[in-house]
Amino acid sequence: MKSLAPLCNLILTIVISVWTVLIWDPVQLAVMLAAEIALLAYAGQLGKLAKALFSLMLVAGFFSVIQLPFNVAVPVAIASGLKMMVMTVAVLLMLGTTRLPSLTAALVSQAKIPFEYAFMFTSALRFMPDFIAESHAVQEAQICRGYVQSRNPLKRIVAYAALVEPMVLRAITRSDTMAMSLELRGFGGARRTFTQQIDFKAQDYMVLTFLAAVTVVVILYR
Amino acid sequence: MLEIMEVSFSYPGQLPALKEVSLSIAAGEFIGLAGRNGSGKTTLTRLMVGLTKPAAGQVMLDGKPAKDCGPAVMARSVGYVFQNPDRQIFRDTVATEVAYGPEQMDWSETERQVAVANALLMTGLTEFADAYPRGLARSFRQRVAIASALALKPRLLILDEPTSGQDEEEKNQLMKLLGELNRQGIGVILVTHDMELLLEHTRRTIVLHHGEKVYDGPTIELFADPARNVGIWGLRVPDAAAIAGKLTEIRATVRSVEELADCIQQLRGGKTHEEPGASV
Repeated sequence: MKSLAPLCNLILTIVISVWTVLIWDPVQLAVMLAAEIALLAYAGQLGKLAKALFSLMLVAGFFSVIQLPFNVAVPVAIASGLKMMVMTVAVLLMLGTTRLPSLTAALVSQAKIPFEYAFMFTSALRFMPDFIAESHAVQEAQICRGYVQSRNPLKRIVAYAALVEPMVLRAITRSDTMAMSLELRGFGGARRTFTQQIDFKAQDYMVLTFLAAVTVVVILYR
Repeated sequence: MLEIMEVSFSYPGQLPALKEVSLSIAAGEFIGLAGRNGSGKTTLTRLMVGLTKPAAGQVMLDGKPAKDCGPAVMARSVGYVFQNPDRQIFRDTVATEVAYGPEQMDWSETERQVAVANALLMTGLTEFADAYPRGLARSFRQRVAIASALALKPRLLILDEPTSGQDEEEKNQLMKLLGELNRQGIGVILVTHDMELLLEHTRRTIVLHHGEKVYDGPTIELFADPARNVGIWGLRVPDAAAIAGKLTEIRATVRSVEELADCIQQLRGGKTHEEPGASV
């Protein structure tokens, strides 16, 4: 995926999300998840994201289980959790294989999206790894004060919830500082240019054709 | 109390951050840890508290391998204050923030309350117990972070560049606090780029360079030997030591500008700067 054009990677992510919305079969969703994890491994990102994937699996499992008391059928509950995982892993896959400045350039030059909106979108994506790093740092600080991570997923979720407020506050402060920094550097001024190589190559067209074909099959046979 | 034995560590895909570093830290020491950015200081301190596991070598706490304890148990003996205090603060009052550590211990409610009250008292935060910590000035947030570590009654406190972003008065107040804690028997390891602070407040300094320990000895001797070019380790000779270096008779005794003034005064046969009416 690293060799694909940034816009192709973005389309791939969106298309996977569309498939995920359309498919309700847990087996098919599990196959999609397995394929994504294989791609993560191929892109050399699996080691880095192993812990995040495990945490995501816990959250998805919790999300599935919590639906059962509300008379939701077991396959539907499992599919809901899998859908959450497939969509999130698709975004992680894109983030791990696409340089965000290249994605911004592709959105502006190829998708004709105004730079302000493209920048806002990629900044929001950039925020995810920052958020993960920040939560990791806060957890380390807690460990240094005697906190032992429980094996109980519910307890872990409750402990994690305590971190949400300070991290959101910090994110707001950081975005405020970033906005000031951008304004001071002339953001939104003259028409801008990009140096990134974002052109589509033969492999990108092949991937897009494959995605279109599978989408048609998914719509017809769902 | 803490032994680092031939410890090595590398971050994935990078040059070694630490190469066979060995050192011993006794109870109640006041140690400076210096070196360029990227020399391995933070990695070494993370190993000391168990946040990072060594690739080779061992960290021993009171004669027992630290890897058998884990960072949560290590926290009872070794307190760690991060460079950015905001990373440690996540509760809505100073008192509850400081109480987080004691809540993780198997202490009684009374023991917890006493530990929090003592930590607040030691750091001068008693009157801010109900304040919103993230709304305090940076120097006070730093104190909250220190109080949070002290609440677990550690015997050793490690502070990663605690004076960064602070003005002179705040620095002085912080160093006064650390001096006071040290006098009460708590060992202090101060990671710093501030050579004036290093010379004035620490008795022993460890210098890391490209992940290797290149100096471990009395702070005053680090700067007293004119043949030692500390510049190659990214250090600067503090003003007091540089001036004292010119005055060979007092070179090995001066730690601060005030002490230097006293020495010059004594050499001249006059009064010291602390005495009323003294002039240099």
